[in-house]
Amino acid sequence: MKRWAPWIAAAFAALLLPHLFASGFGLSLLNRMGIAIVFALSFNMLLGQGGMLDFGHAIMLGFGGFLAMHAMRLAGLGWFIPTPLLPLVGAAGGLASALLTGWIATRRDRTAFAMITLGLAELVVAVVLMFPSVFGGEEGINGDRSDGPAILGFDFGSQMQVYHVVAVWTWISALLMWRTTLTPLGRLANAVRDNPERVGFLGYDPARVRFRVYVLSGLFAGIAGGLQAINDEIMTSGNIGSEASGAVLLMTFIGGIGTFWGPILGAVLIVLLQVALGTLTDAWQLYSGLLFVAMVVWAPGGLAGILLAHAPVMRAGRLGQLVGHYLRLIPGFALALAGVAGLSELAFRLEAIRGGASTGRIMGLAIDATAAWPWLVAAVLFLAGAALLNRTFPQARAAWQAAAQ
Amino acid sequence: MNDPGSGLIVTGLRKSFGALEIIKGVELSVAKGERHAVIGPNGAGKSTLFHLITGRFPASDGRIELDGTDITGWSAHQIFRAGLARSFQVTSLFPKLSVFENLRCGAMRNFGAGVSVFRLLDGFRPLAEQAERTMEALGLTHRRHVAAGSLAYAEQRALEIGVAIAGGAHTILLDEPTAGMSRTETERAVALIRKVTEGRTLVMIEHDLGVVFDLADRISVLADGKVIASGPPDQVRGDAAVRTAYLGAAAEVLT
Repeated sequence: MKRWAPWIAAAFAALLLPHLFASGFGLSLLNRMGIAIVFALSFNMLLGQGGMLDFGHAIMLGFGGFLAMHAMRLAGLGWFIPTPLLPLVGAAGGLASALLTGWIATRRDRTAFAMITLGLAELVVAVVLMFPSVFGGEEGINGDRSDGPAILGFDFGSQMQVYHVVAVWTWISALLMWRTTLTPLGRLANAVRDNPERVGFLGYDPARVRFRVYVLSGLFAGIAGGLQAINDEIMTSGNIGSEASGAVLLMTFIGGIGTFWGPILGAVLIVLLQVALGTLTDAWQLYSGLLFVAMVVWAPGGLAGILLAHAPVMRAGRLGQLVGHYLRLIPGFALALAGVAGLSELAFRLEAIRGGASTGRIMGLAIDATAAWPWLVAAVLFLAGAALLNRTFPQARAAWQAAAQ
Repeated sequence: MNDPGSGLIVTGLRKSFGALEIIKGVELSVAKGERHAVIGPNGAGKSTLFHLITGRFPASDGRIELDGTDITGWSAHQIFRAGLARSFQVTSLFPKLSVFENLRCGAMRNFGAGVSVFRLLDGFRPLAEQAERTMEALGLTHRRHVAAGSLAYAEQRALEIGVAIAGGAHTILLDEPTAGMSRTETERAVALIRKVTEGRTLVMIEHDLGVVFDLADRISVLADGKVIASGPPDQVRGDAAVRTAYLGAAAEVLT
């Protein structure tokens, strides 16, 4: 019963959330989060659980999405294809592409596997652009999700209805992926991650274990693709290429690859950042990149790792001791962040001005990027923040170590 | 003693790495149920011989038979399925998995769990019980949830043996199971090996000659890629070729 509690809680949360964020913006945010969660969990099935770093994971989402999009268009021609079942079409597309790419990639492990997937990612984009009748070339292909047959009066045109489709599929997919971790294949995936050679001496072909995990992961990535087709009503070569594959790596790692639920945190956070920062600045990718690098260097366990590091502290009832230390990190962190953000925005704006844009505003402030003083201020902010952190961070870490004893 | 077609029989086995020949025509015959030790000076090719028998490397020439089946050229997982399990000289565990999960992985295949995604692992009751039993025999029950990578060295060595034997294979190859253990740890390991290999075929590489004479029914001496003597401990002890080729520092143990 205890192991089901999070799933029941998640189901209730999913029912409640659209009423808390009922605006079009809120719903679109939630829909993207659900899609990202399925995609990131399927990615971590490979990276965190199977030790496979897939640089072409968006291939499987993309094929699932394109196939679902074609099914959506067939629905528009009068075929009986209910919109809520399009993720199943996506799953078939993801599975098919995984059978094909996995057949090559999973023969090898680690670096060789990663390099093969990198090559596949490049290759697939080229293929997609070579067949415009199937993939729509640069513009991609679009459809209308309300073309499908209405079910109980729902035509799935509204965002609220799409939300419920996304929520149900996200819940089912996450549950099935979690269940996979408890099966022989799930445990063998961990074993192959830790020590592929030994797995061979225990009667299993490690390449076959990798292949099965990869294909299963492709199926779930395909479901994410189907959901994306429903949500966006368009699929382009951008959804299948290495940029999309890089994005899922980023969110999964930031969430934490060492636990099942870490990637969920990463997906939620990165979608939030994308949308929140995306409205403020053109350079949001720079910030998620910085966050990624910072995580790799200082918190390789991701957000989940940071939370787990506090589990023993919480059990010992000493979380209160840490609050003061953590609060003292905020000024340094805020200053450093302001400095970094200032410098990047200035650089970004300067390039735009050189390209002929007007001086404009930076984060709503009238700042002239061609003058020297804003650069100076930003640099000073950054250095001051870094100096502060240099003092407070070791103290906070020592406090944590003491509390975790 | 040698029931033909039964046990492990190696004939004319050769292995070269480039121009360098490491195994130069090994003949080895281990009867079913026998405890057999392979000894020899460093660089004699003992571990390479194990790697060839267990399918880690392909042999350059020769034939390996397990219970009458020619397993030459089979891959590691096929050889395991034919009933032969092994441990490694350099500890080779699943460092992020717990002691219990390491043992469960060791036993999984022989307790009916394929590469399946439909049944839950906890549903395989006999598998969990076998992992439990092995854990107890190793004296690691109190370390059940500890990740293998965090164990003490001697515990890792014990678990290394445990993962090899957990599946209940009828033939077990142990590559220096007591390497780096203290006196008491070695005694404990020998008792364990004796207990768990009861009624099974054991082939063991071992440097500790005390362990060898204590445990082995027969001994083969490997020197410079060839078996130069093979027989019961007393016979090998008195063999002149062994004395000249191998003895050195260990001479007083043999006399």
